[in-house]
Amino acid sequence: MKHLTEEELIEHYYSEDFYKAEAEMHLQACKRCAQAYEDLGRFLGSVRAPEAPARDSEYGARVWQAIGGSLQPYQPKKKLGYFRWPQLAYAAACVLFLAGAFLAGRVWEHAHTKPLLASAPQQSKERVVLFVLDNHLDRSERLLVQLNHAGAEEENVDLPLQAEARQLLTDNRLYRQSVAQTNDPLLAAALDHLERVLVEVANSPDELTSADIARIEKEMNTQGLLFQIRVLRTKVSEQQTNAQAFGKGTTL
Amino acid sequence: MGNDDHALIRAVLAGDKDAYGMLVVRHSQSVFRVAFRITEDEADAEEVVQEAFLRGYRKLEGFDARSNFRTWIYRIAMNCALDILNKRKSQTAVPIAEEYDGDQVAVQLADGAAGPDRLLLSQEIEARRYAAMEKLTPTERLAFVLRHMEDRSTEEIATALGIAPNSAKQAVFRAVQKLRQSLAPLWVKS
Repeated sequence: MKHLTEEELIEHYYSEDFYKAEAEMHLQACKRCAQAYEDLGRFLGSVRAPEAPARDSEYGARVWQAIGGSLQPYQPKKKLGYFRWPQLAYAAACVLFLAGAFLAGRVWEHAHTKPLLASAPQQSKERVVLFVLDNHLDRSERLLVQLNHAGAEEENVDLPLQAEARQLLTDNRLYRQSVAQTNDPLLAAALDHLERVLVEVANSPDELTSADIARIEKEMNTQGLLFQIRVLRTKVSEQQTNAQAFGKGTTL
Repeated sequence: MGNDDHALIRAVLAGDKDAYGMLVVRHSQSVFRVAFRITEDEADAEEVVQEAFLRGYRKLEGFDARSNFRTWIYRIAMNCALDILNKRKSQTAVPIAEEYDGDQVAVQLADGAAGPDRLLLSQEIEARRYAAMEKLTPTERLAFVLRHMEDRSTEEIATALGIAPNSAKQAVFRAVQKLRQSLAPLWVKS
């Protein structure tokens, strides 16, 4: 049998033990613990509170008289009038709204301005390239048209085709190299095809005959190339228009 | 009473200093009684009362309106009493001559008849009890007085002393053990 400790007996005496019923049962069953508890009870019962000397009815007044002089009265707090609360709430709501609008504007600006600014130089460059390429294709188209018409005639051709072809050839090489780095196989193939035609025209004898041109037309399929160039011009013109429209949008 | 106290506190905080005087008059007697039980000295108890009400006035702005003023001022009085006990403890020591002389007391206790001897014995017991209480630490003493004489719960003692409930319980245990050690030889087993 596990006996109650002195601490447990004291707890039980002051009725602060969690297992009061168990302690009670144990005390009934265990003579040793019951004796210890009885001794403790008699001891604590004999320790009585010292009797406080009586104070007369004026005691409280005397205490107040002793301390009252040294106390400073509290300053009543200035309370905000109740009627002010709606105005304050309205002002707070306005401030919150303005702060919210400002923050929202900042967030929107941050989210939208950056990509536009970043893409602006790229778009300008693209517009310039499209414009120059369109011009190059236009000149090439005219050359091919002249070439095709000349091939249909039976006389010697008296046109500055070779000089034009040499100029276009230099430009075309640059465009072809640039386009080769982009992901546009159709344009790259067309420029490659055009370059071969231009080389042929540029390197031909001084005076091109109708027969020479007809041969070039046949061998180089200039009719097909002309069609390709027209298709590409249409495509480039559309891209240019789109780029201009977008550019205006961003500027605004 | 509680509601009246709260109304007086509001008046004090609104600038009516005299309203605090009414609180002082209303609670001085009970605060003095507790202070005396702790200090067992009339002058110390009066000092505790004055100091408690002074501190109470200064802290009145922090008074929680949900609390009971009497409990609140008691707690302040406990702290004041604790300060006095600590001061007293550091200034004085229990004389060795006051220690228990078992043989002498046992002879006296053997005589159970009422009379001058018995009266003398009661005075002797009271003197020993006082000396034993003085040997307790201030915390043990306060915890024992609140538990044994004021019938306060462990939680209330812990709150008054600003310690954990288990520490308060241990303080009561140690106080009882020390008092038993000091006073047990005086006890006449029936």
